[in-house]
Amino acid sequence: MEQFFADNAIYIVLVIVLIVWAGIYGYLYTLDKRLKSIETETKGVKK
Amino acid sequence: MAWKIFLFVLMTLVCIAGITFPIVEEPSKWYHFPLIPGLEENAKIIFFHVPTSWITVIAFLMSTLYSVRYLRKKDLDDDSKAYTAAQLGMIFCILATVTGAVWAKFAWGSFWSWDPRQTSIFALLLIYGALFALRSAVDGEEKRATLSSVYSIIAFVTVPFFIFIMPRIMKGLHPGSADDTNAGPIVDFKMNSNMQVVFYLSLIAFTILYYWMWNVGYRSHIVKEKLQKQIS
Repeated sequence: MEQFFADNAIYIVLVIVLIVWAGIYGYLYTLDKRLKSIETETKGVKK
Repeated sequence: MAWKIFLFVLMTLVCIAGITFPIVEEPSKWYHFPLIPGLEENAKIIFFHVPTSWITVIAFLMSTLYSVRYLRKKDLDDDSKAYTAAQLGMIFCILATVTGAVWAKFAWGSFWSWDPRQTSIFALLLIYGALFALRSAVDGEEKRATLSSVYSIIAFVTVPFFIFIMPRIMKGLHPGSADDTNAGPIVDFKMNSNMQVVFYLSLIAFTILYYWMWNVGYRSHIVKEKLQKQIS
């Protein structure tokens, strides 16, 4: 396994890109949820 | 909910395919990409660089549409939507410029060479940069919204010219320019069907990602505005 990654550096890049993507996705997902809770909280209050 | 999972799966697939599928001279397996003369491994940038400029156009278009809607209905929520779309368009425009410059270093020899494509995206960055300068210069939210809506509509008139027309009618280094020997507009240059599928999947994935970013962005903007009004 280690030898494979050492020989094919592009797969290390792939792993890094996938980690970054999972991070972005996770961030957006939690942000979306937090925002939804704020929206329901403020909905009762009139403008 | 379902589209969020769909986005995760799709983007993951695009990353895996875009990076690991090998480029060979004569594609024989389903996962082979064809060799494009002069581009070689660099050609894989198409899965990540072209979608960013595609999102730039979509975002600026949406900004214009919501600007028109604001001018007709005078609903400040529409202004928030237009503003967030313009913001995202700007971010993706910068991303397209930077990824393009990094690619150019290895494909053309230098980061920046005032290629028609680079010049036109630079002009576009300046035009839309002025929108944010305008917004921050005007007090009073309705005046600001009206002025920036009008500016956004006028600014979008230049987008088709700078993104689609000028780089294609002028000679340049970018794939798809007038003297490109690889022939034709960028999308159908010597891609095989496998490469096209991955490319279009990438466009779809980036579009959904953009939609989500925009959605979260304008909702938070609206909530922020409302809370500010309650405080003051």
